[in-house]
Parts: sequence; structure tokens; C-alpha cells
Amino acid sequence: MTPLDQVILFVVDLLALLAVYLIINIGLNMQQGIAGIPNFGIVFAVAGGAYITGGLSTRLAVSLLGVRTNLDPIFNNVAVLASVNPILRSQPLTAIVLLILFLMIGGMAGALMGLISSAPAIRLREDYLAITLLAFGEVLNVIGIGYKPLIGGPIGVNVPDIFGWAGEYRFYLGTLVLLLVAIAIFAFAGYIIKTPFGRTLKAIRDNEIVARSLGKNITQYRTSAILFGSLLCGIAGSLWVLYSGAVTPTYARFDWTFLPWLMILLGGMGNNRGVFVGSLIFVTLNKLIIYYKFEFVGILPFDIVWLNYLLLGIITILILIYRPEGIVQEKWTAPKQNLSAADKST
Amino acid sequence: MELVTLSTIVGWLTYSALLSLMALGVTLLYRTTKVANFAHASFVTVGAYVAYTLTITLSPNPYVGVPVAFVLVGVVALLLFYTVLEPMRRRNSSTVMLMIATLTFDIIMLGVMNIHADFLTNVYVVPSRNVLLSGSDFKFMGQPGILFVALGTLALCSAALYLLLNFTTLGIALRASMENPSLSEAIGINVSMMLAVSWFIAGGLAGIAGALIPLWTEINPNIGTLLLASMFCASIVGGLEQIYGAVLGGLLLGLVDIVGTSVLASLVGPWVAFYEPVIPLLVLSATLIIAPRGLAGVRVRRGR
Repeated sequence: MTPLDQVILFVVDLLALLAVYLIINIGLNMQQGIAGIPNFGIVFAVAGGAYITGGLSTRLAVSLLGVRTNLDPIFNNVAVLASVNPILRSQPLTAIVLLILFLMIGGMAGALMGLISSAPAIRLREDYLAITLLAFGEVLNVIGIGYKPLIGGPIGVNVPDIFGWAGEYRFYLGTLVLLLVAIAIFAFAGYIIKTPFGRTLKAIRDNEIVARSLGKNITQYRTSAILFGSLLCGIAGSLWVLYSGAVTPTYARFDWTFLPWLMILLGGMGNNRGVFVGSLIFVTLNKLIIYYKFEFVGILPFDIVWLNYLLLGIITILILIYRPEGIVQEKWTAPKQNLSAADKST
Repeated sequence: MELVTLSTIVGWLTYSALLSLMALGVTLLYRTTKVANFAHASFVTVGAYVAYTLTITLSPNPYVGVPVAFVLVGVVALLLFYTVLEPMRRRNSSTVMLMIATLTFDIIMLGVMNIHADFLTNVYVVPSRNVLLSGSDFKFMGQPGILFVALGTLALCSAALYLLLNFTTLGIALRASMENPSLSEAIGINVSMMLAVSWFIAGGLAGIAGALIPLWTEINPNIGTLLLASMFCASIVGGLEQIYGAVLGGLLLGLVDIVGTSVLASLVGPWVAFYEPVIPLLVLSATLIIAPRGLAGVRVRRGR
């Protein structure tokens, strides 16, 4: 492989990861940044989208494509996919329809997880809420490992190769699709924030009592924010599974809750530009660390992955202490002095 | 077929005692700093590895590590307080930001503990993951010593905490700074120092609990993370507003978790045991729905 190929491969992989994290971070920003709901358990929605896609995609592909087989789509996953994938490879249009279907299912699964999270979220104070959501975050892994028909237990399953028709350009196509979805969601979320709905969410975040006195239904607005954010997380989980081609019940708090929080902190909460900047800087940094970690193998007496934990942790602490508002600050829609007066009263 | 065996009860009491020790710290920190300390997970892990490392290197008695873990983890807690939380507190950071900070500290310590475990394996060539110390535990009346030590330590620590908080000047100053920080500051109590004291005590308790874990179950660098949901659950079930509620919460959660799972497994089928990690979450949800302020808060109603 020439150096140029390596660079292209690196960039393609980086863009795919960036797209997935961008979608998740927009979803998290909708909840924490815009609506002020500290969701420490977004891995719940991401894993929901991912596992449903893993569990249903092969089954749906078999029934929708009319593949005749007596094998179980989960337990004989590889054999079933061997007859599904060639059909998808020869029919790009079918593959695209299936992709859209899977994303809708993933999004709905994410929204369902959001609906479950919103039950405590609308009645608990922020500290209790954070504990509850953090505790529930990884519960789907227990189910994913224990209930084998979902995604085949600890070993996981492969999913139909939706991008297979691009042949050797499969990953290029996958990245392109991921980016397009991310851009569309980015634009849509930016629009939502500017609508009366988005402004009401911000008003509730800044002063709940004032918002309530103006007749806003707090519960309904907060539930909608969680549902929308979780829907995006579910879509992201689904996309990531379809891109990487497989799913295992290992969606951890570190990757899918801590890192997104770190990214929106770094970029700046409450505005989508900040979320984009944070995601870009962070994903690039993380990818470079992983890329160069092999240079250190054998030099240090421990796995270099853990240095990554230390480094990211220390960066976060420094941001929290010295620049808690992030790189890009949220633009206030109201004059500054009025707002600080409102802050004092809370 | 017996539904509840003696070994189940032994498991329940041991687990509950350790859980209560951890939950005591969580509640204490919530009362003083108003922060849900997610770094409690790594405090426990550090305690466990302090005990394990000491036992395999210096002394064959697994209990030697307990006082060392108390001091060392207390120091780790002070480190978190002075380097991260105190600067943030001075800058008026919000509760959510403080919670992210403790979560981040937990991630850092997770990295440190994994490096420590790798180091033990690669440099000293000793196993460092899925390890257990119960082989070197003593037996008393046919039961493992950890049962008595864990219950005894819990009794001792809660009694010491009670005496400290109620009968010493330091304890009264501590409670005063919990109840009303600005008023305490006005009458000359060093609130920042009081917070530091509570962090040391909470960290120390987590360290003791952690040091006893390898005598009860296998340890890994993520043992604390696995127990995090349970300790918070015990703390909330007991009531975050009441320090001794943590002991009650620990006993109750242990009962439901260990005895409940064992009874269900023998009634329904062994597959139930697989979903054991879900139990603390179910208890947590039930508590938050029925008594949002925990069991200790059921009678005493305070306006917020």
C-alpha cells in the first residue's frame, strides 16, 4: 500500500467516525446544551439503535428479499448472509431502500430508549437524574449478552452489507452516506434550535419558573428534547453498525457517553458550531493517538490504550477548570445584562 | 430443596457490609459537597489493588492492606478534591460540571489502575486480573473470616463516624458546614478544610471496602465501575439526605440482589442469575417512584 493510500484510508475512516459522533453529539447537545437535561446515559440510546439494527436487519432482509432458507438469521448468521449479500450487491436500489428502513428502525429504537429515560428525567432533580441515567446506561449490554436471539450473545452478529454494491469502494460509499446523513441532521438540528420550540427549550433551561409562568408545558418540552436527542443517537448507533458490518454487546460508557460529553464540552455546549468544532478536533486527536500507538508497542510495559484514558481525562479536567464554556461560546439571543439579572434570581 | 442456603446468607451479609461502606462515603460526599461522586468507583478499585499488591509482595496476611488502603485512597480523594473540585468550586461551576469532573477523574484512575495491573503482569510476572485473595483468608466457626471482618468493620466505621460527627468539635464543624456553608464561614469555620476532611473520610471508607473485596470476589481494574450502580443505588435507597440511611440501603440492596437472585434462580431457572446486574437498577427505579427521597426520608419531610 502506498503512503497516499494509507492517508486516504485514514481520512475515510476518520470521516466516518466523525459523522457518527457528530450525530450523537448533536443529540446530546439537544438534551444537555439546549434543554439542560444532563443525560449521562446516552449509550443507552446508541446501543438501542445498534442492537435493534443487529437483531432485525438480517431477519428483515431475509423476509423482504424472499430468501428461502431454513437457517436461523442470528445463530447461523454467516450462512444466511452468504445468500443475502449477493442479492444486495446486485441490486443497489434495494440496498438503499433497506438502508433507509434500517435507519428508521434504529431511530425509533433510540427514541424508545429516550422515552424510557424520560420517565425519570421529567420528575427528578438533575443530580438524581444523572445517577439514574448513568446507572441505566449499560443495561442493554446485560440483555445483549444474556438474551442470545437479540444479537447472538457475547460474540455478536454480522449485518447485511448494505454498501456492498460499491465493490472495492464499499468503505468510501459508507463514509459518504454517513457524512450526508450527518450533514442533513446538522442542518435540521440548527433549524430546530432557531424555531420557537428550540428557544422555549433554552428558556426552560435558563429559568424554569419564568418559562412555566409564561404557560409553557415544561414536561412536554423536556420529553420532546429527550426523544429527539435519543432518536438521533439511535440513528447514529444504527449507522455505525451498518458501516462496520457487525455488532457486539460491548457498547461501553467510555466510548458512547464519556467521549461525546468530552466533545461537546471541548467545542462548547448549546450551539451546533461548537459541537462540530469539538467533534472534529477530538475525533482527529483520538484517531491519531490510536494510529501512532503501535509505534510505542514494546517500549512501555503496559498497553498504550490506557495512556489515551489519562490524556483525554486530563484534557477534560483542564477544560472544566479553565474554559468551561468551550471553544465556541453560545450566542445569547437576549441582551447580556437582562440575562445576568435573570441568572441571579435563580 | 432449600430455598435459602447458609452460604447465600453469608454472601448477602458480606456483600451488604462492603456495599454499605461504599454507600456511606457516597452519601457523606453528597451531603457535604452536593456532588454525586462517580469517582467512588475508582476509589474502590484503588483500595482493592492496594490490598492485592501488598499481599503478593510484602505480607501474606490479606488484612494488612486495609489500613494502608484507608490512608492511600483517602489521599487519592484529597487529590481529586484539591486539584479538580476546589478550583472548580471557586469558579462557581455548576453541579453538572462537578459531576462530569468526578466522572473524568474516574476515567483517569481507570487508566492508572489498568497501567498498574499491566505493570504487575509484565514486570513482576504475577497475575493481576481476575485475581482473588480468599485463599489466604482465615476460617472462623466454619465460615470465611471476611464475613466477620466486613460486618465488624462496618459496625466500627459507622460507630466511629457517629462519634466523630456528634461528639467532637471537628464533627460539629463538619455538620455545620453541611447544613449552611455560608453561615459556618461567617463564624470562622474553614469550610474548604471541612470539605477536604469529608473527602478524606469518604475516600478512606471506599478504600477499606475495596481492600476487603479481593477476599470476597475476583478483582479487575474495573471492579469499582461494575459496583458503581449498586453503591449509588444503596445510597439513594437509604436516602441521600441521611448518612446512616446508606447502611440500611446496603443491607436491603444486598438482600434483594444476592438472596433474591438465588431464590428466583431456584424457582424460575438458573438463567435468571445472568440478569443479576439489572436488579440494583430495578430497586433504584422502584425506590425513586415510591419514595424519591429514599427510605430514611420517608418520615422526615423537608421542604427543598
